[in-house]
Amino acid sequence: MRHAQEHTIEMVNEVRQRLASRRGLLKGSAALTGGAALALAGIPALRDFEAAAQDVGDDEISVLNYALTLEHLENAFYRDGLASLTEQAFLDAGFDTTVVDYIAEIGANEATHVETLTAVINDLGGEPVEEGTYDFGDAFTDAEPFLATAQALENTGVSAYTGAAQYLIDSDELLTAALTIHGVEARHAAYLNLLNGENPFPMSFDEPLNPAEVVDIAGGFIVDAEVVTPEAFEPEEDEEGTPES
Amino acid sequence: MRTRPLHEHVLETVFEERRRLASRRGFLTGSAKVVGGGALALGLAAAPRLAAAQDGTPAAAEDFFEDDIAVLNYALTLEHLEATFYRQGLEEFDEADFGQDPLGNSIFDFLVDIRDHEADHVETLTSVINDLGGEPVEEAEYDFGDALTDPAAFLATAQALENTGVSAYDGAAAAISDPELLTAAGTIAAVEARHASYLNFVNGTLPFPAAFETPLSPEEVLEIASPFIVSGEVGEPMDEDDEEATPDS
Repeated sequence: MRHAQEHTIEMVNEVRQRLASRRGLLKGSAALTGGAALALAGIPALRDFEAAAQDVGDDEISVLNYALTLEHLENAFYRDGLASLTEQAFLDAGFDTTVVDYIAEIGANEATHVETLTAVINDLGGEPVEEGTYDFGDAFTDAEPFLATAQALENTGVSAYTGAAQYLIDSDELLTAALTIHGVEARHAAYLNLLNGENPFPMSFDEPLNPAEVVDIAGGFIVDAEVVTPEAFEPEEDEEGTPES
Repeated sequence: MRTRPLHEHVLETVFEERRRLASRRGFLTGSAKVVGGGALALGLAAAPRLAAAQDGTPAAAEDFFEDDIAVLNYALTLEHLEATFYRQGLEEFDEADFGQDPLGNSIFDFLVDIRDHEADHVETLTSVINDLGGEPVEEAEYDFGDALTDPAAFLATAQALENTGVSAYDGAAAAISDPELLTAAGTIAAVEARHASYLNFVNGTLPFPAAFETPLSPEEVLEIASPFIVSGEVGEPMDEDDEEATPDS
């Protein structure tokens, strides 16, 4: 039996290698010229989500629920992990109390992401996914497996947001909001790489993952949870743009 | 003549700008009603340059940039600034100047990685703009003040540049209309956020100071970046007659 986090980390690395060789990021993108002009039928009034809701459809809500699916996973991981692990476990692993504080801060960020995404989905008239039941294997037995799993989750999180941002291209507000979370996940990932003795920024360009790839990875932790993926995502053609209107 | 180290001025500008924006916008705090892009649009609407775009709806990043090439040139403007900063700085310093981070890593070695990333960003953006038929902005002349002589000032300035870089990408991404270019911008923005995280860390501050990044409008970003720029193009957002509008010193 392999530990869940070993399995996941291996999977993350494998997926990345595969993608890196398959894609050659940005190389082909220049071939697609400016792209279809964005039909901007006026930015909806900001503080007025009644108005915003007219421009936001099930597609956008599915992207937010996809993000929320992942944020629930992360939030539960830090909340439950930090409840089971003592500060001493981190000190014994050679870390100082700053590390414990910073990890708690990451957990707090994830809780805020869950709270905010839930509220936004509700305000848009959608139904936010709920937290599921997860199994993080031996991640809560000691500081090292905890930090290794955290690293895998955060790096996957960044890739998930990078890969899904395109599905919000028709909704400026939601796209920008998603990117403000994306950056924070990248900050977490960099710090966790460091704590795991690795380069915080291993590449010049981060690797986007498509929803199928992300669900593959996250699935290793999920016992029972509703998993939402962006409706516009078509598994066979992951280079697909925005098919709608 | 400068009375204070440049990096202090810049850091102060960055922090002040963020505080101002945060208080004006109530950015995402506790309220789902103000989503990031909305805040961005409000910021742009307030910019004098965009006054013409006012017709009852807040101006968006789209109104600031003519097309995707303009957004890419804006990104390139900032990447040139960063790339030059690290290239020049690391010529002046060596490993001993920076020592180790709190986890025992050579700070210099990671700065070399960051320098190489920024150079890659410049190279890639330049070639993408060329391939799209645009004219890539070129490297300008910069003044990094004491950041090139004092390692602590270098690290503080690097921190300001990287955190501003993240905010710039977050604030401009919505103006991109091509999904592939948007994804590409996301792959760069994430790396800038990783750099910012590490530079916060080595400067003794929280690597992730908030649950959400702060998107900044092009106007806000250029205001922050302009103290470093002695002469040269300031990317697409400026009007042609404004290109010479750099402080003579």
